Amino acid sequence: MSLLEVSDVSKTYGSGRGVVTALEDVTFSVETGSMLAILGPSGSGKTTLLSIVAGLLQPTSGRIVIDGQPIHLRSQREAALYRRDKIGIVFQDYHLIPYLSAVENLLLMPRLAGRATRAHREKALGLLEEFGIGERAKHAPWELSGGERQRVAIARALMNDPEIMLVDEPTANLDTERGTQVVAMLGEHVRGRDMTCLMVTHDVRMAEGADRVLRLVDGRVV
Amino acid sequence: MLALSEIVHSKLKFALIALAIGLVVALTMTLSAMSEGLVTGMTGAKGNLDADALVFQGDTYLNFERSLLTTEDVEQIRSAEGVAQAYGVGHVYISVDAPEESFDTHAFGLTDDFEQLPVVEGVGGMPQDGETIVDETVRSEGVEVGDTVTLTPIGRELTVIGFTESRRYVMAPVFYVNMNTYEDLRAASMFGVMAETSDAELPSATHVIDAVEGNVSVAAVKLDEGTTVEGLAAALEDDFDVVTPDEAALAGNGMPVMVLAVNGIQGVSFVIGALVIGVFFYITTLHKTGQIAAIKALGASNAFVYRQLLAQILLLVTAGALLGTGLALGAGASMPPAMAFDPRPDRWGVTLALVYLMAFVGSLFSLRSILKIDPATALDHAEH
Repeated sequence: MSLLEVSDVSKTYGSGRGVVTALEDVTFSVETGSMLAILGPSGSGKTTLLSIVAGLLQPTSGRIVIDGQPIHLRSQREAALYRRDKIGIVFQDYHLIPYLSAVENLLLMPRLAGRATRAHREKALGLLEEFGIGERAKHAPWELSGGERQRVAIARALMNDPEIMLVDEPTANLDTERGTQVVAMLGEHVRGRDMTCLMVTHDVRMAEGADRVLRLVDGRVV
Repeated sequence: MLALSEIVHSKLKFALIALAIGLVVALTMTLSAMSEGLVTGMTGAKGNLDADALVFQGDTYLNFERSLLTTEDVEQIRSAEGVAQAYGVGHVYISVDAPEESFDTHAFGLTDDFEQLPVVEGVGGMPQDGETIVDETVRSEGVEVGDTVTLTPIGRELTVIGFTESRRYVMAPVFYVNMNTYEDLRAASMFGVMAETSDAELPSATHVIDAVEGNVSVAAVKLDEGTTVEGLAAALEDDFDVVTPDEAALAGNGMPVMVLAVNGIQGVSFVIGALVIGVFFYITTLHKTGQIAAIKALGASNAFVYRQLLAQILLLVTAGALLGTGLALGAGASMPPAMAFDPRPDRWGVTLALVYLMAFVGSLFSLRSILKIDPATALDHAEH
């Protein structure tokens, strides 16, 4: 059964003659435990699609169903709770909180839901160990390399055991070798934890690391 | 937690914000204390009289200098219903030939209750004839306890036996004397110079002293429990004006206009200070737009983000309040005694409460921008 189903999703901006179509009748589904790469050039609507699945944007039309529940009709507050509890997001620019150490950045997730316990701390340290940056746990983001920051961002997205991972251009700031390592690592975790992952990328080599590839051009699936 | 972590991480930035808040607090507190000091300096000797009510001669506009009560008036007041105790307070202008330079000031004669004067140096209690207890700010004129000062041009001498505090009138230190000395000074000030310089036929000294004997400027009254100032005023009818010492302090000598002016100065400085504090936090929020968008995209509610901001404001305003209070106290301590500075815990408490309130109001502008931050911008990098 598909965990994520996107049906006939369109998104337009503006009105009248100034209308811009970002997405047009996009339809796809993703199975649990698989990784889908959304491949397309800049301006193709990849990030808009990711934002809609994250509940950050409302589609102009169409449906998004996750685990049988339509999520495109939720209020902002419901969408925020849904992201906090069910979604893990990895931003292209990482968006690590600059004044928190690596482990504290991971602990931000349970803090959003209430408070971070000792168990959360142990889990966060374990995740950093898994990503090979355990010894950098107490370092601030500015003390980490680009690759290390990316791994912290992925570990943070995994902190709340999400059902869906949304990953935006994970290799944009990395060289090819490190980018390939990060995508491979991401794939292992997605499959190992039975999650679903949508990875936006413009790099064909990175997309090859996914189970399926969805090509997006000018807002349409091709 | 996030609030504290950010403060620890950006110590210099937040220390400067706390310093700015501290300076605003210090400014408003110093102005408040100087305003209070100005009022105390102008009317402390009136407002601090140990009494529930002051009774003035009718239609003298609560003016010490114009009011005159005879012995019979004081007796009438003393025997009025609801009066527990009444004593006379006389006022006379004097000029003092001090070691530094001569200065004009005021002598208050008390018929009783010298114990009300807090003694900060020397001795208290009822002075003997020719002795005086003076407000301590007279030190700035070079006068010390034990000194004998000469009053010009009448040639009388007064020996300073003690210093009291917060007892100035029209910014000059008040000399407290007993009634014998007061009557002597009053008679001398009225006729002494004329007697020495005029060829005209003048009343004898005995006649003059007889004329002023027992006369005072106002009566200070302590009321029976349950009697109000209004009740005493009604009992005495229109011959007298009856007010509280505080009301008397704020009347006459241009006080209403002056109080309005100092309140205006305090108000303006406070509003500017509040705006500065509000703008600081607003700018801080604007600088974190990207970060807040990311946190909201991760699932933080607006309430979570606002709570962090409020916690930060609380910490910084508290630090600023402590710093500002210290600076204001330091400024006060460094001022010369003659300078008007009278810190009142209640006024400073109100100032601090208002600083917290205005910081909170300022935070509402930040809340508005927090609500407007679109979490989708965290993913937006020129891509649609």
